[in-house]
Amino acid sequence: MPAKYHIHVRSVPPRFSPLAKSTIIDWAEGCLRCARCVKEQCPVDAYRKRGFDRTQFVDTIDELCRDCYRCVQGCPRELIFKASNPQYSRIGNEYWTPEILAATWYQAETGKIPVSGAGYGGPFAGPGFDSIWTDMSEIVRPTRDGIHGREYISTSVDVGRKPMFLTFDSNGELTWPSPPLLELPLPILLAAPSLGANPGNIREIINHAAHELGTLAIVARERLTAIPEKTASLVMPSYTAGSLDAKDPLLSQVRIIEVLDHPGVLEQLEAVKKRHPELIISVKAPADGRVVDRVAELTAAGAEAIHIYASEEARGLGELQETHLKDLIRRCHLKLVENKLRDTVTLLVSGGIALAEHVAKAIICGADAIIADLPLLLALECRLCRQCAEGGKCPVEIDTLTVRRGAQRMVNLVGAWNNQLLEIMGAMGMREVRRLRGEVGRAMFIEDLEKEIFAPLFANREGELTKREPT
Amino acid sequence: MSMEVVVFACQQAVPEPEAVKSLWRGGEVRLRVLPEPCSSKMEAFQLLRTLATPVDLVWVIGCEEQLCRYNEGSHRAGGRMAYTKKYLAEIGLEPARVGRSVLIPSDESALAAIVAEINDRVQALGASPLRRAPGAAARRSAK
Repeated sequence: MPAKYHIHVRSVPPRFSPLAKSTIIDWAEGCLRCARCVKEQCPVDAYRKRGFDRTQFVDTIDELCRDCYRCVQGCPRELIFKASNPQYSRIGNEYWTPEILAATWYQAETGKIPVSGAGYGGPFAGPGFDSIWTDMSEIVRPTRDGIHGREYISTSVDVGRKPMFLTFDSNGELTWPSPPLLELPLPILLAAPSLGANPGNIREIINHAAHELGTLAIVARERLTAIPEKTASLVMPSYTAGSLDAKDPLLSQVRIIEVLDHPGVLEQLEAVKKRHPELIISVKAPADGRVVDRVAELTAAGAEAIHIYASEEARGLGELQETHLKDLIRRCHLKLVENKLRDTVTLLVSGGIALAEHVAKAIICGADAIIADLPLLLALECRLCRQCAEGGKCPVEIDTLTVRRGAQRMVNLVGAWNNQLLEIMGAMGMREVRRLRGEVGRAMFIEDLEKEIFAPLFANREGELTKREPT
Repeated sequence: MSMEVVVFACQQAVPEPEAVKSLWRGGEVRLRVLPEPCSSKMEAFQLLRTLATPVDLVWVIGCEEQLCRYNEGSHRAGGRMAYTKKYLAEIGLEPARVGRSVLIPSDESALAAIVAEINDRVQALGASPLRRAPGAAARRSAK
């Protein structure tokens, strides 16, 4: 059995205090000077340890507070309140919610799975990935306990073209060379996000993290100058449409590249493959109205891997702005199944993958692996203020972050995601992430449930009046 | 070194902190607007330590006292501001380096007048003397 893949996480405290969800309003005026003040009874001693954060101009008590409400309930003059912190609720946007940002920061700091405590007060379903419930039927089976289990759960995936059959000559030798295939230890690739102060530094951090994790780092070709030999095998240069030149010396250094889809992409691929037969080429296709047919067309023409990219909010592009990425992945996957070509090609997806559960759910919908981009920036304490995009100063000074520190925070995040993937697969009773691909039987889709269960209950029989209609 | 103003804005009084920035005509003066649940969130020590970082002007925007969601919050913020000013005078710093305004929530013309007042105040005061004080450079780099 191969050595168990393990991600080495290590605590990396944040350089800037993460914004707290709630804040204390302390009205010290009018204090009765009780002999035993509630502030002295704080279980985490927050009132004594509180300080002042000089960079963010905030009282650090909110960072220390564990929301036990002992002081709020105990003060006889009711001089202490807890309120929602508007600075927290304003970070991110509708999709990249403050909760997602805070959970990502926690995982990047600790490398641990975020646990929200007893009880769950939120809704059971929502739009997008929240409309998928994963199978937990084997959650009590200890042998498949994800992280600490005795059975090994493999998270390895293969990137490249897989032949549907083999042919042998009379000597038992393969009649044609098998196509190049790259095995990654986890179904997560790293890519430089479109945002971020000091992009060069962020790229370097991502390269280091990818090397540590043993996965690929996708970097724009024009941003690559020289690649150190030891990391070259895990760098995936991304070429814009038409910029791919078969004579590019970088092609002999790397094992895989991606090129943006354009009308002449297949001819371009052929020309490069003639010169570099061992190179895997992925085609980057936009998740627009043509994506399903284009994926089928590229696969039929022999594409080895296809990267479908959606918007930051996991929505399609162009005319498919209202369609969620999960539905687009399903459509592409099912089209390839229908064409009996699904196993030949690797589908990579990106855009809006914000949480560990999104990795598993994207794979269930039919992706082979996902590409993380924006969460990597969040791992570096980013607050998505987007000031960097306007040339402003980064409030958390990502531009001054050291490569080692940043890379470890990314490794921690991916480590926490990988552990959650193991937990999900363990609960499903699965031992291979390859087998999870397209396994919709291991999940329930709220849209399907609503159609199957509720539609018959509430649908009117023909000609029958409902109770609400006047007689 | 350009000047800097920090505004702590009650979220009821200023529901859109970005509006303060869009009204700002301070040119080179850097403006930071921090939304707070109530103007009474800001304690005297926080105002003083913000001023000591150093910034050139600290301002608190709250609601009219009778409109405060916490009933007494705006009143208490007024008391704290008076205490902070008195403290600054005692230690020999300009009390005008901190200021407070109240407005009826979402009153845009009042907000524009407050922003203009903040701008006039910081221009009149100039750079904080704390910037020239021994150790100020170290404090700035630690910031």
